[in-house]
Amino acid sequence: MTKRMKRTLYLFIIAMMATVQTVTAQDETIVFTPQWTAQAQFAGYYVAEAKGFYREAGVKVRIEHPSATQPAMDRLRKNECQATTLQLCQALEIVDGGIPLVNILQTSMNNAMVIVSARDKDPLTQKGARVGIWSVGFGQLAICMSIKDHLNYEWVHFAQNVNLFVAGALDATLAMSYNEYYQLVQAGINMTDKNVYRFCDHGYNVQEDGVYMNRDYYEKHKEQAHRFAQASKKGWEWAAQHPEETLDIVMQYVNKNYIATNRVMQRLMLHEVLRLQVDRESKKREFRLRPDMVRQASRLMVENQMLSHEVTYKELIDN
Amino acid sequence: MSGIIAYIRRKLSVRVSLWVVFFAAIIFNVALGFLFYQAREAVRQEAVNRATQILDKTSLRVEGILNRVEVASDMTKWLVLRHPDQADSMFVYSRGLLLNNPDFYNCSIAFEPYYFKDKGRYFSAYTKHIGDSIRTTQGGSDNYQYFYSDWYLMPKLLEKPCWTEPYMDLDAATNTSEMVTSYCQALTDKQGQLIGVVNVSLSLNWLSQTISAVKPYPNSYSIMIGRGGTYFVHPDTTKITCQTIFTQTLEQPDTAMSALGHAMTNGEEGVKQMKINGEDSYVFYKPLGQTGCSMAIVCPESDIFSGFDRLRRTIMGIVTVGLLLMLYFFVRIITRELKPLRRLAHEAEAIASGQFDAVLPDFQRIDEIGQLSHSFGNMQQSLVKYIEELKNTTAQKASIESDLRIASNIQMGMLPEKFPSSTDRDDVQLYASLTPAKEVGGDLFDFYFRDEKLFFCIGDVSGKGVPASLFMAVTRSTFRTVSAHESMPDRIVSTMNKTIADMNKTHMFVTLFVGVLDLPTGRLRYCNAGHDAPLLVGAGVGELPCDSNIPVGFMPTWKYSLQETQVFTGTTIFLFTDGLTEAMDAQYEQFRMERVNDVANSALAQQQQEPRQLISQMTEAVHQFVGDAEQSDDLTMMAIQYIKQQRDVQMRKSIVLTNDTKEVPQLNTFVEEVCQTVGFDQTVTMQVKVAVEEAVVNVMKYAYPSGQSGDVTIEAASNDVRLKFTIIDSGKPFDPTVQAEVDTTLSAKQRNIGGLGIHIIRQNMDSINYERMDHLNVLTLRKKIIHN
Repeated sequence: MTKRMKRTLYLFIIAMMATVQTVTAQDETIVFTPQWTAQAQFAGYYVAEAKGFYREAGVKVRIEHPSATQPAMDRLRKNECQATTLQLCQALEIVDGGIPLVNILQTSMNNAMVIVSARDKDPLTQKGARVGIWSVGFGQLAICMSIKDHLNYEWVHFAQNVNLFVAGALDATLAMSYNEYYQLVQAGINMTDKNVYRFCDHGYNVQEDGVYMNRDYYEKHKEQAHRFAQASKKGWEWAAQHPEETLDIVMQYVNKNYIATNRVMQRLMLHEVLRLQVDRESKKREFRLRPDMVRQASRLMVENQMLSHEVTYKELIDN
Repeated sequence: MSGIIAYIRRKLSVRVSLWVVFFAAIIFNVALGFLFYQAREAVRQEAVNRATQILDKTSLRVEGILNRVEVASDMTKWLVLRHPDQADSMFVYSRGLLLNNPDFYNCSIAFEPYYFKDKGRYFSAYTKHIGDSIRTTQGGSDNYQYFYSDWYLMPKLLEKPCWTEPYMDLDAATNTSEMVTSYCQALTDKQGQLIGVVNVSLSLNWLSQTISAVKPYPNSYSIMIGRGGTYFVHPDTTKITCQTIFTQTLEQPDTAMSALGHAMTNGEEGVKQMKINGEDSYVFYKPLGQTGCSMAIVCPESDIFSGFDRLRRTIMGIVTVGLLLMLYFFVRIITRELKPLRRLAHEAEAIASGQFDAVLPDFQRIDEIGQLSHSFGNMQQSLVKYIEELKNTTAQKASIESDLRIASNIQMGMLPEKFPSSTDRDDVQLYASLTPAKEVGGDLFDFYFRDEKLFFCIGDVSGKGVPASLFMAVTRSTFRTVSAHESMPDRIVSTMNKTIADMNKTHMFVTLFVGVLDLPTGRLRYCNAGHDAPLLVGAGVGELPCDSNIPVGFMPTWKYSLQETQVFTGTTIFLFTDGLTEAMDAQYEQFRMERVNDVANSALAQQQQEPRQLISQMTEAVHQFVGDAEQSDDLTMMAIQYIKQQRDVQMRKSIVLTNDTKEVPQLNTFVEEVCQTVGFDQTVTMQVKVAVEEAVVNVMKYAYPSGQSGDVTIEAASNDVRLKFTIIDSGKPFDPTVQAEVDTTLSAKQRNIGGLGIHIIRQNMDSINYERMDHLNVLTLRKKIIHN
């Protein structure tokens, strides 16, 4: 998907959200759509729903996952959801595209993206290699890195899963350390220190998942949004303290949505997602957007013409 | 358990049977073990062959349809490339393919974005079966950007036709999904540029059913995995598409499972033996054509070998029952065969209990048992005979033993039984003991008093028992005979030696110590013929120095040496045989001289050197040392303590006369004065005068050679108990005391010269004693003073 296409898509989605906000204002239920199918990446929200934290907070929340026929973006466009998770870089792109967003809860404190290279080769030595990238638009940092380090990767956009890489059609692939990384391990790919490149260890430690709302909607439902964020945060904290029970809840969502995964994978994912939520410096689960990271990501993307202007921290938070 | 063992030990039949069955069992086990091993290998090989055949067959079936897909795809590609610019034709081609191949799932002919300018970004001619009809639509949309799909990217990136990993094909129109695998090949224009992809899909249902149906054994099952190890066929449906073959190994490392996974995902073919869900299983695997998938048949070992195991169990059961039957029959047969032996044993018991006339059964058998019975009969007869002989021998032995007892009594009777003690005598006390090792022994001791002298001897005859005892008797009587006429120990021993050696045809010998203790003076003369040197226990403990003389009985001409020493009052002479020093304990260690010395020293320290006490202590020490060991040699000990106390001399007179009988009156006067001084009456004075005159006249007449003058000194001394006359001359040595007593029944003419004189002296005086000292003859006559 080209940058232009994506921007068009985002613009369209957000515009739709803005036009139908009056409808949602009447209906107090917040429909929350995570950006991917049901998995432990969203455990905290499942916990908050299953354990009744949202109800306790006095906020009606319904979690609806995207589907093949109705991706998260589509749901946003049709105003079928009021909150979604986005990676920081995605949010920057959307805001840069003219759709103001508000980060109501930042869960990720670290970057999870890795490059896994085939045949035990160092990704940094593979100039011009064919590297798989998600067609839905994660991986902005990888593109920046490819340009900055003069690697000139040939990006191959794929829909999902790791089949292309496993089939040998790619030299390397981008992967999330909590998801595709373990899918590759599960497919029998041997992971070594050499063939795995972790962005967080090479000066690209930019936060990822956060919960975003359209700013207009947010301005009108501040209290509700705040309660939703706090209950979600509580859900994550509970998940960190009760990983096995959390896993039970996650598997309920997984089974309900017929997701082809298993408990082992979800356990690994939950553990990794929870690890990524701990700030490297404070060693705490901070649940906050870091201005320095916003600045770093924004400047990187501007440098690589991925943003037209530097999106500031203030543009992302409640003013 | 111990009861069973005891029973087995008691029963020969059971023992023999057990051995036979034991060896039979070993042979059976080895043979069957080999057979089972070989059979198992054969079964295993058969299973491998069978599974391989099934795999090949299944693979062929799968490949058959795959080939059809590939051929149809090729045909379509050819058609498309003939008219690549006619978008609507693509629907026809796509539809035509499914019409011709109703078992295919769908077909897409998809093109690069904006390939057909008028068709927009997406163009994919997509045909699918809907029930019995076929529906053809345009497949791409914003929600389904096909060019990001694996099926589109794979042939493009790999630049060759390929099968995709199975994936869920979602039909947006009907909102249905189906697991499919697609054969895709890239469409390129004449310049080699990619223009699109032809995708022909097969439902995985058919493949799954085909593979699931493969079930060579009741509990075996088939699996199919994709390139990434994802299960597409598995009996546990929860695993299908959700887990890979590696999933379980992430949490519980399982090298065998990982190896299988890698082998299968690498497209290898083979068989592995491994544990699956805790059960030993064989896994046969083979890739499925070019799909990248691999199928495997998992056969539990228990299934493969179930028939074999049943056979093995049956055979082992038959063998076990057979061996038990064998054991039973062997015990029965052997018991029956051994029955006569039991009867024989019973009869033998009767014989053993003394019924020598018990009648042995006649088995009329010629085998070993018959022979045994026959031998037993012979033995019974021999036993009767031997027992009769034994009775006679026992009677004879009893007679010999009786004789020996008598001999022992006689031998003991020869030895002095009364020992003088301090109450009997004031000069010496003595004690001795002899313990023979057998009924009779070869040790001897003897003593007697003659003329104020104690004659004693101790000896040890070579050997033991009756011969030694007889030799001892001879020695002892010879000692008595010889010493009656001889006072010097050397001469006594020499004479004994000559006598004994002359009649010694048995070449026996005796070690002998002969001593003569002069009681008035304590002078001890002795001769040691090869005997252990005695100890002197007095001021200290020390050995009496002894010359090296040979034992008595070897050489009749041997000249034995004389030794003498002074024994002081209170000193005990301890004599013993080698039975003391060589007494042995149970460990064959000897008592040794050191211990004898120790006991003597200890006795001395405790003032226990009196003969009885010393011998008692020595005996006790030896008994303690020997303990329960049998006495090895005769043990003889003799202790003599000299206890003479010198009394105060109340009167001392002397006179010196020449050897002239004319001086006799002067002598008589002297004697009378002396007798008067001590207060003898007339009768006693007369007796003394006669005796002294006889002795002095004898000296005057015979001491000096005829015509040579010499002196005779007569000393008189008395204490409160005795009067003593000492007659001293320097003439030729002459001991009147050893002259034979005169036989007073003979007439004067018939008697030998000198005998009468000594007789007169002995009759009138209490004691007479002769000593040769410093070349002087010293004759001492004593008479007790009787106080009124």
